[in-house]
Amino acid sequence: MTRFQASTLPNADGIAALTDQVIEFLEQHAVDARAVHHTGLVLSEVLTNLATHGGCSDRAAKIAVTIGPDRVTGEIVDSGPPFDPRLAPEPSLDVSLDERPIGGLGLFLVRKLTCTLEYARRNDENCMIFAIRREGNREDNKGH
Amino acid sequence: MEILDERIGDTCVITAKGRLDGGASTAFAEKVGALITNESPKLLVDFAGVDFVSSAGLRAVLVLFKKVKAAGGSFALCAVQEQVREVLDITGFTGMLSIHAARTEAIAAMRG
Repeated sequence: MTRFQASTLPNADGIAALTDQVIEFLEQHAVDARAVHHTGLVLSEVLTNLATHGGCSDRAAKIAVTIGPDRVTGEIVDSGPPFDPRLAPEPSLDVSLDERPIGGLGLFLVRKLTCTLEYARRNDENCMIFAIRREGNREDNKGH
Repeated sequence: MEILDERIGDTCVITAKGRLDGGASTAFAEKVGALITNESPKLLVDFAGVDFVSSAGLRAVLVLFKKVKAAGGSFALCAVQEQVREVLDITGFTGMLSIHAARTEAIAAMRG
């Protein structure tokens, strides 16, 4: 297995730079475009949520990405207030254009694009682990 | 993100290239939004060069879609990459927007 590790402040520049690094790492190891995109997206969404709603834009989060034979696994550890991304409310998708809210899709995408999503609170830290199936190893959108 | 605009007939065609993420989405929405000035505008966004879309990018697309619709116009995307298309499918955008496989097909459809 091949592993990438980094830490970043969850501000716009930090998230963009980290996403760049993760995408480059995955592409260098011939991961398919879908898994590359969705891994970058999940990391970006979780870190953005951490800064926007967790009030943690000044505290670094630790990230690790591991390439396995059939999946990419990501881990995010942050010292923000307790937050389980699996419990965020579902957005309203079955409404007319006029009623469609502008936001609320980030964590929904995290739940829908990952084939596994785990969370634990340990040592005053949020620990989230997710996996994205690699091409040739995925079922139809599994979601949670 | 790189954003180019051109007029083909009565359709404003935007060619976007790069990542439509948190950093780019505000500028994208502002720049493209500023081009929606007519009554019944026709706006096509060519996504062939967009290889990443986050929820912030989806917000920008929705803002533009609502603005065009409020002005009585039509809005479409074309040439969406497969991984981006999956994001649009999951979030219900596919059901709301016209999404064409190719630019030429999209322009022809928007001429009506």
